[in-house]
Amino acid sequence: MTRTLGAVLSVALAFAGIAAQAARAQTLTGSVTSAEEGAMEGVLVSAQRDGSPITVTVVSDAQGRFRFPDGRLPGGQYSLRIRAVGYDLAGPRTATLGAAGADVALRLVKAADLAAQLTNTEWFISMPGAAEDKRPLIECMSCHTLERIVRSTYSADAFVPVLTRMAQYANNTIMARVQRRVAPGRVDEDAVRKLAASLAAVNLSHGPAWTYELQTLPRPRGRATRAVITEYDLPRQTIAPHDVRTDRDGRVWYSNFVENVLGELDPETGANRDYPVPLAKPGFPTGALDLETDTDGNLWLAMMFQSGLVRFDTASKSFQRYPVDAALDDDAMQQSLVMPRASNVDGKVWTNDVARQSIMRLDLSTGHYERIDPFRFLPKGRPHAPYGMAADAQNNLYFMDFGDQNIGRVDAKTGASTIFPTPTEKSRPRRCMLDAQGRLWFAEFAANKLGLFDTRTESFKEWDAPTPYTYPYDVFADRNGELWSAGMASDRVLRLDPRTGAAVEYLLPRPTNVRRVFVDNSTDPVTFWAGNNHGAEIIKLEPLD
Amino acid sequence: MRSASARLVLIAAAIAAAGPLRAGGNMDFGGDSGSMNDGPSYFGFVRDASGSVVGDAKVTASVKSGGAVVTRTNSMGVYKIPGFAKDIDPNTVTISCAKDGYKQTDALRRPPSDPKDPIETECTLQKD
Repeated sequence: MTRTLGAVLSVALAFAGIAAQAARAQTLTGSVTSAEEGAMEGVLVSAQRDGSPITVTVVSDAQGRFRFPDGRLPGGQYSLRIRAVGYDLAGPRTATLGAAGADVALRLVKAADLAAQLTNTEWFISMPGAAEDKRPLIECMSCHTLERIVRSTYSADAFVPVLTRMAQYANNTIMARVQRRVAPGRVDEDAVRKLAASLAAVNLSHGPAWTYELQTLPRPRGRATRAVITEYDLPRQTIAPHDVRTDRDGRVWYSNFVENVLGELDPETGANRDYPVPLAKPGFPTGALDLETDTDGNLWLAMMFQSGLVRFDTASKSFQRYPVDAALDDDAMQQSLVMPRASNVDGKVWTNDVARQSIMRLDLSTGHYERIDPFRFLPKGRPHAPYGMAADAQNNLYFMDFGDQNIGRVDAKTGASTIFPTPTEKSRPRRCMLDAQGRLWFAEFAANKLGLFDTRTESFKEWDAPTPYTYPYDVFADRNGELWSAGMASDRVLRLDPRTGAAVEYLLPRPTNVRRVFVDNSTDPVTFWAGNNHGAEIIKLEPLD
Repeated sequence: MRSASARLVLIAAAIAAAGPLRAGGNMDFGGDSGSMNDGPSYFGFVRDASGSVVGDAKVTASVKSGGAVVTRTNSMGVYKIPGFAKDIDPNTVTISCAKDGYKQTDALRRPPSDPKDPIETECTLQKD
């Protein structure tokens, strides 16, 4: 008996040993070197199996070594790419991964075209002037990179019609699909001329080279190299993932800023599934911005220029439309945000009316909307814009005044609003999340800061983003109390501990325009998710600590 | 070399001069608040019973018709609130102050000589 058990055990152990060896062996490892630096730390190495929508990226360590997680890459033929500003990959560009694994020696050479590698943040750093001077350019990133501006040869005069035309485009425009507003945008000609002059000062209208030095950010080091990044290619370039979130079953859902489709991604296979949202207003720009959940786990979309809200029943996979009342609707109507989180309390769902700088509230029992002007007692003429939203347990609303510099609160019972100016002026707070302790975490887009508004004490705290000009769009506080943020400028994911101020920035493998950020707290360590709004991909970042 | 640096200054000035692109949109905003169309702004000190200034005190300016602006005093005990819409009667705006461990005992208002002048208040807190 003892001998038999022993034999079985040893056979089992032998099998386990073989299995472990196979899993360990079947991975891709390698080194990164260049003539200039020798072994290179902080080089992103990406591997995509032929025919697969999934690209996995790891980062070389201080010895210039990289290793993909054991068992993560199935066997097959892979194409390889790198990201290391100032360098190109000389080779090899492919690797064959068999049962024995593979080890490749990547050789990097000086970049043929450094300008093509700069992030928006690096362009901002390179351009002359103070941060305040460059403020007008931050809007450009909504639709395209700054590289597009600086490579242009338009004179100030030639820029005027270009900018006038672009002012007629909807916010949900990307290079792969321009969408035109139906209600014409009023254009301030004087402002257009000034912006045109400022753009012509930094582009190639004066000659073949830039008149300022191109500056680059350092490569990741130490802790910033310890992450695995997975990119999921989406099947069409016109898919513009805006808000991404995972559900209890590990499925990934995303709003599509340009197509009238709710997207679902299988994170195991990378398979994409479309749920077409019924078209409410033919001829108007399509696509949704905010994607939120209610307490039943159903998904809500703010339908932008299609106007109104849509609820997606995750069980029946069907949509329920909540169109804006005809008496309130017009060609400029635009709902960018939705907050259904506490709708179970009073049957009300919050949203916004972008054109009228107002809050709206949907009564689920009647299907009617009411408009609430939270700024009605403030001086007229300020560019208020209710944006990121959160609701507390009583369904009181907290919102970001993205146009200006305030956090607002609307009382669910009285409709009265309270305005809390942020400590930093001209901060333009953008998206937010309310945690279980009543702490409202938010990104101060124009101030390059992360903010905390404690709803219990009604007091603020702010943290500088460690790199200038990163313009954080959103922030997520994870289960450990750490903050995760990203935006449209730096191609980096910021992880900041608000207790110590310690920060790490993970570089992403591609030019990446991030909007909403999301953290899956069910994994250990936590997993960061976001969409690449201009790159038709979903991004997953797994920190290794 | 000199012309290059002069050019950089010009570029910076040109960028700085650019303002909002779309009128009424949220492209950007310029200038400070406060125009002929606004009501008066509010400012003043928060002090304790001994007359010492109280920093990081919450100051609330409430409008009778509903709504409020909430700010905090700086380390000098000073707050300022840009003011309300022109149609808000300043006499219906209440200034109050609060801080953990304190209660408000007084809120004085100095009548401005001109209705357009900022309204100065002094709010007093007493330790519980």
